[in-house]
Amino acid sequence: MARVRAEVLVIGGGATGAGVAWDAALRGFDVVLVDRADLASGTSGRFHGLLHSGGRYVVKDPVAARECVDENAILRRVIPDCIEDTGGLFVTTPDDDPAYGERFLAGCAAAGLPAQEIDVGEALRAEPRLNPGIRRAFTAPDASVDVWKAVWSMASGAAEHDARILTYHSVVGLHTADGTVTGARVRNELTGEELDIEAGFTLNASGAWAAQIVKMAGIEGIGVIPGKGIMIAMSHRLVNTVVNRLDLPADGDILVPIRTVSAIGTTDIRAADPDEIPVTHAEVDQMLDAGERLVPGLRAARALRVWAGVRPLFQDEKSGATLTRDVTRTHAVIDHEARDGVRGLLTISGGKVTTLRLMAQDLVDAMCKQLGTERACRTADVRPPGNERGEYFRLGTRLREREATLGEEQLICECELVGRGRLERTMHRRGSVNLDDMRRQLRLGMGPCQGGFCIYRATGILHAIERLDGPEASASLVQFLEERWHGVWPILYGDQLRQARLDDWIFQGLLDVEHLPAAVAP
Amino acid sequence: MSHHDVVVVGAGLAGLVAAVRLAEAGASVLVLAKGVGATHLSPCTIDVLGYDPEPVERPLEAVARLIAARPDHPYAVAGPAGVADAIAWFTGCFEDGPLAPYGYVGDGAENHVLPTALGAPRPSAVVPESMAAGDLRGGGEICVVGFRTLKDFYPLLMADNLDRLDGVHARGIELDLAAEGRADANALGVARALEAPAFRAELVAQLAGRLGADERVALPAVLGIADPHGVWTELQEHLGRPVFEVPTLPPSVAGMRVYATLTERLRRAGGRLILNVVVTGADRSGGARVTAVRARVGLRDVVHGADWVVLATGGFASGGLELDSRWTVRETALGLPVVGVPTPGAERFHPAYFDEHPIGRAGVAVDGEGRPLEPGGGVAMDNVRVAGATLAGAEPWREKSGDGLSLATGFRAAGSIMAALGVGAGATAGTGG
Amino acid sequence: MSPLDHDDHDVLGGLMRQSLDHCVKCTICETFCPVSNVTPLFPGPKYAGPQAERFRTPAEESPDTSLDYCSGCGICTQVCPQGVHIAEINSQARSRLRQRTGVPLRDQLIARPDVIGMLGRPAAPLANRTLRSPLLRRAAERAIGLDRRAPVPDVAGRTFQAWARKHRSPPAARRVAYFHGCGANWYEPDSGRRTVELLEHLGVQVLVPRGQRCCGLPLQSNGLFDPARSYAKRMARRLAPAARAGIDIVGTATSCTLMLKREAREILGLEDDPPLREVSDHMYDICEYLMMLHDRGELRTDFGPLPMTVTYHAPCQQQGHGIGKPALDLLALVPELRVVESTSLCCGIAGTYGLKDEKYDIAMDVGAGLFAQVANTHSDLVVCDSETCRWHIEHATGVPAVHPIELLHRAAGLG
Repeated sequence: MARVRAEVLVIGGGATGAGVAWDAALRGFDVVLVDRADLASGTSGRFHGLLHSGGRYVVKDPVAARECVDENAILRRVIPDCIEDTGGLFVTTPDDDPAYGERFLAGCAAAGLPAQEIDVGEALRAEPRLNPGIRRAFTAPDASVDVWKAVWSMASGAAEHDARILTYHSVVGLHTADGTVTGARVRNELTGEELDIEAGFTLNASGAWAAQIVKMAGIEGIGVIPGKGIMIAMSHRLVNTVVNRLDLPADGDILVPIRTVSAIGTTDIRAADPDEIPVTHAEVDQMLDAGERLVPGLRAARALRVWAGVRPLFQDEKSGATLTRDVTRTHAVIDHEARDGVRGLLTISGGKVTTLRLMAQDLVDAMCKQLGTERACRTADVRPPGNERGEYFRLGTRLREREATLGEEQLICECELVGRGRLERTMHRRGSVNLDDMRRQLRLGMGPCQGGFCIYRATGILHAIERLDGPEASASLVQFLEERWHGVWPILYGDQLRQARLDDWIFQGLLDVEHLPAAVAP
Repeated sequence: MSHHDVVVVGAGLAGLVAAVRLAEAGASVLVLAKGVGATHLSPCTIDVLGYDPEPVERPLEAVARLIAARPDHPYAVAGPAGVADAIAWFTGCFEDGPLAPYGYVGDGAENHVLPTALGAPRPSAVVPESMAAGDLRGGGEICVVGFRTLKDFYPLLMADNLDRLDGVHARGIELDLAAEGRADANALGVARALEAPAFRAELVAQLAGRLGADERVALPAVLGIADPHGVWTELQEHLGRPVFEVPTLPPSVAGMRVYATLTERLRRAGGRLILNVVVTGADRSGGARVTAVRARVGLRDVVHGADWVVLATGGFASGGLELDSRWTVRETALGLPVVGVPTPGAERFHPAYFDEHPIGRAGVAVDGEGRPLEPGGGVAMDNVRVAGATLAGAEPWREKSGDGLSLATGFRAAGSIMAALGVGAGATAGTGG
Repeated sequence: MSPLDHDDHDVLGGLMRQSLDHCVKCTICETFCPVSNVTPLFPGPKYAGPQAERFRTPAEESPDTSLDYCSGCGICTQVCPQGVHIAEINSQARSRLRQRTGVPLRDQLIARPDVIGMLGRPAAPLANRTLRSPLLRRAAERAIGLDRRAPVPDVAGRTFQAWARKHRSPPAARRVAYFHGCGANWYEPDSGRRTVELLEHLGVQVLVPRGQRCCGLPLQSNGLFDPARSYAKRMARRLAPAARAGIDIVGTATSCTLMLKREAREILGLEDDPPLREVSDHMYDICEYLMMLHDRGELRTDFGPLPMTVTYHAPCQQQGHGIGKPALDLLALVPELRVVESTSLCCGIAGTYGLKDEKYDIAMDVGAGLFAQVANTHSDLVVCDSETCRWHIEHATGVPAVHPIELLHRAAGLG
């Protein structure tokens, strides 16, 4: 059995885990991070992309609002390249109480959030597709964040400080000795090989899967109730500003322009299992109705894809108390020594992408305290790699880059403007045979045609680069098609159904994927 | 208001087949279409029936069995004999067409088994002459040749899968040949480049000494656009072995040849084709007879009078059928009733991609003449014939029946109208139109 | 106000952009694009239109200068089976791009044919000699980038308007207002006169509204939307009284006719201009109008024989009307006239596109098929509905090119 030693083992490669690895590595700890799949392929990769100004919480949860105000400012400083400075609007739709605006402004003042009421006409000129019936409009420094880029940036930063990032490694057991967690046994999901990680401390940042992890150390009584949130990406930017409905947070009250799409979200429905979160037509309908309130005609616009993420709600089954304060989005460190008498293990619960840095800081601070060492957190001051330009992301970036190489390079993913060079470099670097990994990393196949044209090309290129054999390449292709279908069938109407049917003609009618030698993986 | 014997709505394979056949029979024909149809996207092999669900060897016989088993399948409108007639007519279209002697081979009795660009064996009944040598039934040695600059075809991947088939030995070569000097060419660009003798010579030179004695050569379907027969035969000659084309991702050069052939025949026969016209409805004289179609052209509504209408607007892929976000399905041009739509609340799609999906066979139901039916079974529009992917009852991309269905039902729609008009081969009593 | 502000996002203008949602990437537009098929400098309509548009926001400058190589012929929109207004999206994006990069003096000039005409007319012979002098053309090429080989028409000594002011059209039950365009007014006044004579011969009284200037199309094509809007509105005000009186308006400049019929509303987003709406509703391409009469059995068809072979080329802008090719049906009424239908979609000139030195060769390559066809069929004449196309085809083939009306005029025994 292969062995790896590290001071700190981080379990979970979402936004929190990557932030924790980055924080700990910057403080000089020797870190190993494991994730059962790719980075940001769970909850983090399945949110709407909003970098909160805090405005959504100012009335209901001033503490969360304050955290957002501070962290928003810090992240704009340290990961600017992952953020698009869209700005945010809070609008009173005809169904909302205009008087809420006063509570909102008061809350903003208390939280230090620079919100301003603007003329409704001005808001409509800035966002012509907004509901012309809105009665009030306020600006706030909301933004959108490319979570894949942010997570990879922090994980790469950790790696530059000698952290080892092990994707597709799932934890199969925790090692304990004398009431102390001493590491974990992990399995490489691609090769099936197992590996023992000896770690001085284990940080559990596995979110909705956290209870499953701590059970391996014999810790009972932590319940994680997955709260399912669905989001629908509309095929282009219906708005260029984050638009929030000015009311207490509710279902379908936010529209986020993120890269080339706009995402409408979200719901909060309790699910039984974080790995079983199907989207129903009824939920889609509800989201579209809600979207119509913000942008009339949204139902006639093209929906691209729907996805669901699981917001973990932690409950202490011993005391009956929720471990995250209220069902709010604020996070907490669970001290397993105090609670369960298990040393060497901390769990971080709750939270959101906007406060990922603060969560990491709190968790690593708590670890330092238990270890009796003092090392200052530096993540508020150091930019992880990928943010060297120090400029906010701009939507036209890929178009500008493409313009420079027109006629020199093949365009593989035409919707998201992924050139062959970028794709080949990423394939080489990742060494992954999973086209879905390329999707998250490059947005390959994330545009309107949903891989209809690029995935065959990417398969051909992958086959050559990774020296796959035919059936392996076919398996990658089929896996992508199945994964893609998962995200489109609940929203197949209108234009996206046309696209799906054309894609059927390509993959079934033209390429006959179904009858490839050994194509459909068991 | 203009007036024509027949207004054909849609310029895909079904619409063009109906239009050409009617115009050549002497009818005055106007084709109205939103845009160019799916010929440009389809491999444009005439796949009569590929799977039922086992691989089909003898398609016409299988069509007869299919009709018996599924009387609501659109092939029932054409019948096996009608499919055979349509094939003969279609291959005949090329014999004196603008691209002659480029033509199609096959009569529907047997399927060819042609490799796809992924190397899967795909059964196909009637195929371009330049694809026929790809038939995998006899096995053999194949060298798949592609171009690095053509991103829509991967010879090594195709060869790798092909090599796994019984009796087939395949390998791939990727050539560094830039068509028209472009790093990023599409199939049409490469096809145009191959019209130039120098580019062909370069291709032949790059393959010199690299081919085994018994290897035949597979190339992407880019062997010429204006003179495909010339390009293909010259390559066979100079390479000294059979050469065959393999359909690529869209745009389909083979499909463009079909479009060119049929539209030129239509033009020669005096038929008219107007694009960018969105048909929005029909005028009726009272009862079930249509007197004119209404259309949106730019910002203006226009009316085109017609004695007969062929509806060939396609299915969901082309917008002939539309499902809205409230899950209502409509036929977009004439507002005909659509069958095969799951009831409200029922599942429309299955969560597994390769499953058969409940809404998959939705479309317009027709009687034996191809007339659209009301839900109760009555004829919805008496002088309208429906053809192609608008028809209910098939999943052509799964069955591999797409172009076969379009051809057979387009041909049949024309025949039904010709009989009524008393023109051409469909006439019972022969007076010219 | 930022150049990328929301003027362009009026109701219809917005709809044009939203139509990008219909794109399924099928590549049909690419296979038909006359420009991207002859040069890699233009990445094609699918790329420049629905694809790139997803990466454009009002807050950022348009980075894709290759868009400038779109000729605006509109064929992409015509062939798109999904209803994407590709050309219109491109046109709007090109305008935003050009507001950033600035519009060169050359384009400012050639976009205003009536200004050139007005400046050139008082000294027409001199101006024409000047425009034909190789030396001066080379200078013009260097100075402003007007290709020295590109066809530039002669300015006529007397305008069509001047003729029309003196002309009294015999009263008839059927009346039309004639929208003659800059071509007939400044460069081909005889063609305008023959149009009037033919219409009168066919029993139509022709009113020529005074003060007709440029419709704004060349400005629009060159991305100068603001002046294009004021030109289009000004033109509409000249023609609106006729429309309001229920009189149909016919035009011989098919591109300009399309401009007032549709493009000014769709591309410039002038939906809130009532005169333009009225004009748009009553506007007909002249062949379209005559075929309407013919469909109703009201067209006099006693044309005399014209024993000759002509190639008829339907310009891309004529195809933009979505009316088919009525000129073919009209010419079919002329005995002994052999008409060869052009199989090309575009001659390449696209208004002012092919005049520019960086685009002249592209325009010639685009038209190569048509030029060969004209030569191979030994055509006596080329027949074509658009003046800039005619000048370009004449220049490239040496075969005279005329409007279909000119042939009907001859066949009617009028000339």
